[in-house]
Amino acid sequence: MSGEDRQSDTSQSNASQSDTSQSNDKATAGESAAREWRSARYFDPAAADHVDPAGSDSPYQQARDFDPDSVTASPEEAEEVVVPQRPRRRWARLLGFSTAAVLTLVVLLEFYRLIAWALTLHWLLGAIVLGLVALLLMSLGVQCWRSLKGIRQLGQMQALQTQAHQLLQSQGHGQAASWLKALKLHARSHGTANELQACLDQLDSAYSDQEIVRYVEQHGFTAQDAQARRCVQRYSIESGVMVAFSPWASFDMVLVGWRNLRMLKDVAQIYGISPGLVAQATLLKQVLQTLAFSGLSELAIDAGTSALSSSLTTFSARAGQGLGAGVFTARTGLQAIRACRPVPAAGRDKRLLDNVASGVMERLKKQLKSTR
Amino acid sequence: MGVKRKLKQWVKQQSAEQWREHLELLTDEVVTAARERHVRLAITGLSQSGKTVLTTALVHHLLQSHKGRSLPFFEPAAQGRILSVKPIPEQCSFTFEQALAGLTQNPPQWPASTADLSQMSLAIHYRRAPGLGRLLGETATVYLDLIDYPGEWLLDLPLMHLDYAQWCQAQALLWQQSPRAELSAAWRQRLAQVDWFAPADDALLADLGHQYRALLQTLRGPDYGMSLLQPGRTLLPGHDDPEPLTLLFPVIVGVDDFSQQVPKNSALAEMKRRFERYRDELVKPFYRHHFARFDRQLVLVDCLKTLNRGEACFKDMQQALGEILQSFHYGQHSFLRRLFKPRIDKVVFASSKADHVTANQHHNLDQFLGLMIEDAQRQLRFDDIETQCMALASVRSTQAATADMDGQVLSCLKGYRKSDGQLVALFPGEVPTQLPEPNDWTDERFRFVDFAPVQLPTHDLQPQQHIRLDQMLDAVIGDYF
Repeated sequence: MSGEDRQSDTSQSNASQSDTSQSNDKATAGESAAREWRSARYFDPAAADHVDPAGSDSPYQQARDFDPDSVTASPEEAEEVVVPQRPRRRWARLLGFSTAAVLTLVVLLEFYRLIAWALTLHWLLGAIVLGLVALLLMSLGVQCWRSLKGIRQLGQMQALQTQAHQLLQSQGHGQAASWLKALKLHARSHGTANELQACLDQLDSAYSDQEIVRYVEQHGFTAQDAQARRCVQRYSIESGVMVAFSPWASFDMVLVGWRNLRMLKDVAQIYGISPGLVAQATLLKQVLQTLAFSGLSELAIDAGTSALSSSLTTFSARAGQGLGAGVFTARTGLQAIRACRPVPAAGRDKRLLDNVASGVMERLKKQLKSTR
Repeated sequence: MGVKRKLKQWVKQQSAEQWREHLELLTDEVVTAARERHVRLAITGLSQSGKTVLTTALVHHLLQSHKGRSLPFFEPAAQGRILSVKPIPEQCSFTFEQALAGLTQNPPQWPASTADLSQMSLAIHYRRAPGLGRLLGETATVYLDLIDYPGEWLLDLPLMHLDYAQWCQAQALLWQQSPRAELSAAWRQRLAQVDWFAPADDALLADLGHQYRALLQTLRGPDYGMSLLQPGRTLLPGHDDPEPLTLLFPVIVGVDDFSQQVPKNSALAEMKRRFERYRDELVKPFYRHHFARFDRQLVLVDCLKTLNRGEACFKDMQQALGEILQSFHYGQHSFLRRLFKPRIDKVVFASSKADHVTANQHHNLDQFLGLMIEDAQRQLRFDDIETQCMALASVRSTQAATADMDGQVLSCLKGYRKSDGQLVALFPGEVPTQLPEPNDWTDERFRFVDFAPVQLPTHDLQPQQHIRLDQMLDAVIGDYF
């Protein structure tokens, strides 16, 4: 079945649900225009095609020729796209642009002067400095490109998530094909396509859009989820134990921050988002925002219940702090998973938090026993 | 003093037998509840709504659920937490192998319509989900009890709260409606000629009973498809029911005032006695032993049948479902309540045979089902009961396909027609979300034919072999795991 056929089927099933008056199409309009429904009928079984809910395997539409007479010209009016009015921020942009230009100019000038100065001393020194500067510029370029790629991928993830949310709300059937196609493209770009394809092969033609999303959510990312959760758990326990045993209180903040950043990077990589500074910063911003809005009180409750439920009474205040840091890291990790996962995960977070809390406690107990 | 007297009165009201039963159940329950959990699932449905097929398919899929393949939306199975499932032979009177053999042979067949009551019990051994529950042990067992019975008998449940006069009056109203009124003209004429206050003539009563049974059978038949047919055992007698009781019928003409004094040996008094015996000896024990102690309920409704047959059939089924659901206890569960008076705290309404419409109509089918059970659902919501509607097919007999119609692509179904075994591709029509206008119920609009089953594999089941059986299972008993 070609892509075009599927599309027209989709639009037709959509029409039949959203607006029955639209469904008296060409076929029935000839028989009776007043009727609002399509009559039941038999077909030749041999002529009926099978339905593949995940869409055809090729993500691209095949090229094909059309008879020039049979196509209709698209109307001219459609070309006039109304550009949405943006708020004018000309001066702000000018400021940014000029600052960047001046800074780049100054930096380049400094480089030039550095190289020139080194050359006047000795040609070998000049060559070394030139090489170093070239290396710096090159790595900067690569880093920038990676960051851009990461940002684009994060954007894609968000788009996929919004679409998944919409599909979860919808009651329709046959709209999920484009979402699945985008998902497959993404999976192909970082080599988890086989797992996803194995899941998509199990999709049933009777599933509604909502069920398809739920199915993919539950079965499409099991390996990556397990990996990400292990990663989050490892980092949380690490940072918990580190905080509990670190001798300087001011050092804790740095420790936790460092472990958290490393964890964000790892989680992003597991879900196929290329690691770059800017992408990481964006991710961090997203995660911190959700954490802030989810409420500190919730955080405190989580930490508190975990602490109370695991016989903390025998431990010191430092251990309590360690537990808190561990649970905080786990929460950050969960938010990162949420941001990087193409399908929003539905409420299985509580268990991970419990696991992390008990993991931190176990390690602390062991450490204390061995030090005594 | 008031309390004491009230207590005494209450004790007197409960018969000795009931007390013993309560006590037995109580000790039983206390012993088992500590160790393991029982779920009694009521599969409620009128005759021909697919109870037997559902029970068979459910057991078949559950027995293989440790493989974790065919029930992707049933969480414990999908997470691989089900270790093994086995039937408990001592409590199984349901002929599962026989029913399954019909579906797995070549060519496959739907099981025959159920004529007697049978039970199926499964022990599901599973690993607990990670969390606090694990403190009670890594693994646990859930016992699932299913009951299969003729759907005709279900309609006897409303009789429990009626006496003969009330029942006759309700039936008199019912038999005034079309198509019952036209069909029953001859029988009613005969009723009118009988002198109900004269001494009973057993032969005459039996003759009238046979005629009434024939009437009910006609109404149930393919031409009318009526559902509200009482008493159920007149239509389908149990194998050891006493003969006169199964020939019970309502006196809907000839007696105007049931409250007047009736001579003891008169025909009317005889009918009254039969009704009371029927109610007390057949219906009440049936209810007490099998229907009073459910935890969860699945109501199967065959919506397509009503769409094929028209408005009278729809209204009749609506009324029948409403009356049946009133016979069950609903309410929130608590431990003590479970011991003394179990209640159903979750109900799933399912329109069966979802494979007989195209997949894009499933949502419409849900809405149409909602239309049919609107009244029943209102009561449930009032009792704070969770309800859910879904379209399901326990054994999938069609494949989704697309066909070209005048340059348009139309979703259709491909399968073997039940009546002649022919392979057909059919667009069966769209399921309406509103009750259609009287002149819209035409043969041309809906053509929901019955399909023959597709052969079910004995091993290696796939999700494609059912529609939403797993989601139903998860909604009904998923929280026990």
